[in-house]
Amino acid sequence: MGAVAGVAPPDNSTRRRGVQPLRAGQGHEFLLRKLHSLSGIVPIGAFLVEHIISNFELVHGPLAYAQQVKFLNGLPLVRVLEWAFIFIPLLYHAGFGVFITFRGRANVNVYPWAGNWMYVWQRISGLIAFAYIIQHVWRQRFAGVSLPEHPGFAYSKVQMELAHPWMLAIYVIAMVATCFHFAYGIWLFAAKWGITPGDNARKKSAWVCGAVGSALCAMGLVSIFWVAYAKQYPIQDVMPAQPNGVVMPTVPTVNGAADYPTTNSAGQQVAPNGVPQQ
Amino acid sequence: MSTKTKNGHSGVKAEHYKGTTYKVSIKRQATPDAPSRTEVFELPYRKGLNITSVLGDIAMEPVNASGAETTAISYDANCLEEICGSCAMLINGKARMACSALVDKLLAEAGGDTITLAPLSKFPVVRDLAVDRSVLFENLKAVKAWVPIDGSYDLGPGPKQFPQIQEARYPLSNCISCTICMEVCPQFNDQTNFVGAATIAQARLFNMDPSGAVLKEERLRALAGDGGVQECGYAQNCVQACPKQLPLTEAISDISRDVIVQKVKDFFVR
Repeated sequence: MGAVAGVAPPDNSTRRRGVQPLRAGQGHEFLLRKLHSLSGIVPIGAFLVEHIISNFELVHGPLAYAQQVKFLNGLPLVRVLEWAFIFIPLLYHAGFGVFITFRGRANVNVYPWAGNWMYVWQRISGLIAFAYIIQHVWRQRFAGVSLPEHPGFAYSKVQMELAHPWMLAIYVIAMVATCFHFAYGIWLFAAKWGITPGDNARKKSAWVCGAVGSALCAMGLVSIFWVAYAKQYPIQDVMPAQPNGVVMPTVPTVNGAADYPTTNSAGQQVAPNGVPQQ
Repeated sequence: MSTKTKNGHSGVKAEHYKGTTYKVSIKRQATPDAPSRTEVFELPYRKGLNITSVLGDIAMEPVNASGAETTAISYDANCLEEICGSCAMLINGKARMACSALVDKLLAEAGGDTITLAPLSKFPVVRDLAVDRSVLFENLKAVKAWVPIDGSYDLGPGPKQFPQIQEARYPLSNCISCTICMEVCPQFNDQTNFVGAATIAQARLFNMDPSGAVLKEERLRALAGDGGVQECGYAQNCVQACPKQLPLTEAISDISRDVIVQKVKDFFVR
């Protein structure tokens, strides 16, 4: 064949390596991404706001906090609400968020610009929040005394948890990370859904989101430190006579004793709420 | 000799190099499959050099710093005035245009006497500093980044374009397809296969054109595909790095909204 001079120019018509072109109109990642983005605001973000506001009742003491817990657990279809609007969206948002995180190639070491740092911090804060929420849901919702059934124990359960200095530190770090993630998440949502396309709009949005995030974080931290540094409250049910959830009405018998209090604090006889007989 | 430059970088004054030499360390690769190696060149300093003239100097006398004969550096370049978009490469580690990257500033920024050059990291290397950026062309084709005016007969004059629309479109028309916005994007990689800011901005440019708007829905549906506009993580590196100052984040935001509206509309009415 002899010496062949030169090499054929690279074939640009088929690209076998490197970043592949857009798969125009194909796949479902658009829907998954938008669901991820939306779920961060509603319902997860909305729940975060509710959670921090509810927890602020801690500053009013054990009974007020217990009543707040009882109120929330008394919502109609509360277990359905809990799974449909908290656990499932949270699992999706967190799972898909981890997927997004590990598909990105952070390059803040080369391009140390503000937006690029926020890109990295949004992912770090998300991972911190996810790790924290796993242990938080396990230890406060599923392990130990069941608060939906015994809301009266809510205050002392939280106080016991924060009695460990390292757990207090975890709560403080997680509160800051979660509020940052939510605040920057609102900003990102507005930018990515085309609500704030202009530079000025995004600057104004940054101030609003920063203020919302700071206020939430401050409220959360006040609640944490309030209960952590308050006088140790004895572990007791502050609302023993108010069982929560669905309680089957029992027809009081003449001779038998009812399984609920039949006298009020003044010792007067009280009748249970009448259950309409069909 | 170390001093503070205007940019706040701790560097060395340009005058220091008068009558002296400086070094250029270049990441080279003979073929797309060959292993890469680094070759250092030592060149006489002249005032006002840019990187394309440095590469020209090397091509005139391809001898490396250890005195060995070598080959000239392969790289893409054409206009030499930051308008053709060919000569993007990693200069001192950062993606920028070789023609508008000035040696005096680069030496001050590096704080030493060595400038590093490397090919863009996210595109397949053809040879040395020349990379295959055809993915951008494929992406522009995928979103139909053109105005369809071809017909079998004279289509006549197009619709009038208001000055307000022209003003909004002009910044987006400045794109030179250099791919720097894609190179600096943390989401543009072989995992996401993200389309990149340039293509999204061009879709916006042609969607705003009164004649080009006829393909608007097709462009939006294309950008909802895998690797589409949803992959943007809004790190905003694109708009920071763009040598032509395109309003890329604004275009991404606008296109995102249009894509969402289009998909919702398609879901309910198609």
